[in-house]
Amino acid sequence: MANEFNPDLPSNRMVFEVRRDNSVWPHFKERLEELMTQYGLSDAEKDAFRAIDVRRLGEMGVHPYFLPQVTRLFHGSARNTTKSAAALAYRHSFGDQIVEHQDEDGTGRG
Amino acid sequence: MAEFVSIMALAHAPGVTGWIESCPVDHQQKIKAGYEELARVMRAAKPDIIIGVANDHLLNLPLKNPPHWRVDCAGDWNGPAEFFKAWLKQPGYHVKGRPDVAETVAREMAKAGFKIDRGEGLLFDDNWSVPLWYLGYDVPILPIHMNCINPPVPQPEECIAFGRELRRIVRDVLPAGLRVALMGTGGLSHEPGGPRYFTMDAKFDRWFLELMEESNPDRVVREASVERMNEAGGGGTTELLAWMIAMAAAGGTHGKTVFYVASEEMRCGIGATVWPSFA
Repeated sequence: MANEFNPDLPSNRMVFEVRRDNSVWPHFKERLEELMTQYGLSDAEKDAFRAIDVRRLGEMGVHPYFLPQVTRLFHGSARNTTKSAAALAYRHSFGDQIVEHQDEDGTGRG
Repeated sequence: MAEFVSIMALAHAPGVTGWIESCPVDHQQKIKAGYEELARVMRAAKPDIIIGVANDHLLNLPLKNPPHWRVDCAGDWNGPAEFFKAWLKQPGYHVKGRPDVAETVAREMAKAGFKIDRGEGLLFDDNWSVPLWYLGYDVPILPIHMNCINPPVPQPEECIAFGRELRRIVRDVLPAGLRVALMGTGGLSHEPGGPRYFTMDAKFDRWFLELMEESNPDRVVREASVERMNEAGGGGTTELLAWMIAMAAAGGTHGKTVFYVASEEMRCGIGATVWPSFA
């Protein structure tokens, strides 16, 4: 695990419930400020969401499993390849922590 | 008594239906052929019901103090949940349940001491939607959601005990003549939410597949610990706990690896084991 999951963190409650509510998740990006206020996120949590800084959210106690889903709430879920906007946002946030893939013969695909 | 007619364990990575065309052609072919073989095995078994065990993915179980297991005794479901349709590139499907079987399994598991609850209206994501894409929607299912990623998760010992109890329920409690298939889905190594999100541990995966072939529960408990699985990919690899349930339910016979692909584009080790016979 990348962090100590905090089930009481408002961010976790927000992500948990937003994904289940079909009247909300399609408009997550546009309604972000309203939702963050509604769920009582701290200023630090709000800043991390505004920056789509999922690594920081993880460090604050958002469940790791939610982190890729946060990028999809912002960038959409379709065609979620390693080159998708959502995946690139994840990569950008984790920066030099990212471990690159190596094929089984030890070579990277690049 | 009822009988098992098929037992398998398989990966359910979302890219398998969502973006498989992005994989190298040889990987696409191997993955599709693997799932088609599983579908062939399932069709040939002619089950009356498929009992499934899979990670809940923090979609239904409460974030705080979740049960280890949840059974939905509904008569039918529509899947996947809307948020996951574009991700999985699936238009939606309808699948029936068997409330009578679900009630029996939930009751017997609770009597046996497992931390299991009942929840109506379970939402489905890749956990059932990817396997069913290939296995089809014509056989009723009993979805058992488990907590694989919100510590404390059930340990391998508990999962093996759960599989053995499932075996007892099928053989001793469910109605005579009922043909039961079992699928444990999840894994193999992957790390959603960590720095290894874009890779997996193929060496671990091949070792785990060999463990499933051997199907020695004592060795599985000793060596395939939650800690060892998290070393191979935190927050995802522990879905292999569901495979241990399938292994235990088979009663000690050897498993057979159907296929394995360490897929960069799937961000997950993709593979499957079937148990061709049951003790």
